Amino acid sequence: MSHRDPLGAALREVEIPLLDGAEERGLRVVEAALAERKSGSELRGAMTPTTSVRRGRRPLPRLTLALGLATLIAALLLSPAGAAVRGWVDDVLTAAPRPEPTLGDVPGGGRLLVQSAEGPWVVKPDGSRRLLGDYEEATWSPRGLYVGVASGRTLSAVEPDGTPHWSFTAPARVADPRWAPFGTRIAYRARSDLRVIAGDGTEDRLLAGSTAAVAPTWSPFGDPSLAYVSGSGALRLVNSETGEVLASAHALPDVSQIEWGAGGRAILEVSRGELRLRQVQPRKLAPGPAIDRTRRLPPPEGSTVVDAALAPGHETVAAVFTDWRDHGTSSSIVLYRPGSLPKALLSVPGSLGEVAWSPDGRRLLVAWPAVDQWLFLPLGRGRQQAVANISTAFAPGERSASFPRLEGWCCSR
Amino acid sequence: MGSERGANEQRLVREAQDGSSAAMAELYSLHWRRAYRAAYLVVHDAAAAEDVAQDAFLAAVDALDRFDRRRPFAPWLHRIVVNRALDWARRESLRRRVAQTESVFEPLPPPEEIGGEMIAALKELPAEQRAVVVLRHLLEYTPGEIAGMLDLPRGTVNSRLRRGLDRLREAAELDPAAEERR
Repeated sequence: MSHRDPLGAALREVEIPLLDGAEERGLRVVEAALAERKSGSELRGAMTPTTSVRRGRRPLPRLTLALGLATLIAALLLSPAGAAVRGWVDDVLTAAPRPEPTLGDVPGGGRLLVQSAEGPWVVKPDGSRRLLGDYEEATWSPRGLYVGVASGRTLSAVEPDGTPHWSFTAPARVADPRWAPFGTRIAYRARSDLRVIAGDGTEDRLLAGSTAAVAPTWSPFGDPSLAYVSGSGALRLVNSETGEVLASAHALPDVSQIEWGAGGRAILEVSRGELRLRQVQPRKLAPGPAIDRTRRLPPPEGSTVVDAALAPGHETVAAVFTDWRDHGTSSSIVLYRPGSLPKALLSVPGSLGEVAWSPDGRRLLVAWPAVDQWLFLPLGRGRQQAVANISTAFAPGERSASFPRLEGWCCSR
Repeated sequence: MGSERGANEQRLVREAQDGSSAAMAELYSLHWRRAYRAAYLVVHDAAAAEDVAQDAFLAAVDALDRFDRRRPFAPWLHRIVVNRALDWARRESLRRRVAQTESVFEPLPPPEEIGGEMIAALKELPAEQRAVVVLRHLLEYTPGEIAGMLDLPRGTVNSRLRRGLDRLREAAELDPAAEERR
């Protein structure tokens, strides 16, 4: 059939979109599942040699339930009373999960860095928390061995248990410290200067003399390239070792955030009204990375961008939007994936806050200050989870704690 | 499937059942692209297709102990892939009907690559017709095999296939003579 079937040939040969690293990602998950199955059966064998208990992950009942619910909803919509229940159905399908009262294990694992009014906190995978000290800003080191913290003119490195490692006094107040993925440099802003210091607190030097109030972002490719927004509104890529400007282009007007991600192949630019992805040719060797074409990510009509984040290993952007309309504020989380339509993951009443990707790029953490919750949203399998009482979790003993800011989600360990 | 390839696959399944990650990786590498393509052609969403393909392999890992290794691996995997893709497409269709969240976005430009028209025409088919077209023409199963995979009467498979091909012909101007020759 294959030699005479033009449709078959077309289906086999037609170009179809494929997300970067999809095959490798799947293989990692499958290998992990195989390892889990192996260790599980070994453990079971040791404990109960005469009985065999299969692993409990059976998605079918859940799926059946979901399809049953879907059928019920469809029936309701098609019934004469459909119009009356439609609003309810919308609510059901977009409702946030029922929150847990306290944070237990971090869904998906990894460690969180959270900035509260009292200072930065490290949240371990088991949900236990530690306040690092009276610092105003914090950034993870690439493997989570240290946290770069800043307070006034002091930039310090502390261990995740709060033990100080080194400290340095900068020429001006330190803002937006960012630890390089290759580990040996930290970039930060001091007034309008962009400066770089070695990861051991030495060799502080000026890299650029005029910057916008936007945090710089390192190339995730492991080279010394750094992106920043100049005072004149240009997006610049610069070699942090030599100071050489590698590429320059007009940044998004009123840009408030830039993020270099997707394995070094894209820079996300965020302003209140726009989202844009700059394609980058990630070259470690000379002439270094270059800015390529631009892709605009259209926001929902009439909405404002609250925050956005680029996935660690692929060109997927998660964005939080808020819409102030006559009937009240609502917010949504939207995913932009290459080759797919934008997809709303969740819509909730009230304002959402910042969004962060899990280290493996398979889960999102979204702040929901309006109801004092965090939302953990899986992109594929798994259930959505919500955790309540976030403010008080990071301000023990305080009666009117402010909602903390999520600074980062680091490392699988 | 050639007998040599079949024997090799039986060996891989046996080794994977014994816990060999190398064998599982080889099985994965042999089948992932085709599974992904089949899933994509049913769901028309790259991320969902990735999830479906991954889910199918996870189901395969989960059921390795029960798998009869005298049987070929591919039909078993494809059955899971297409059924899960169908589940996803049905849920997505319902979600769009009630939520209509996509309508606020600018649509992406139409695909311009070779075969883009065919992809677009396939996308216009109901998911159930897409699934039988993909099983028949991409994965090359007989209507009887498809009936078993989707748990449908053979007549239903044939009618879905016929309706799907008729609509594809109209939309993409496929060569009817070529169809008749098969």
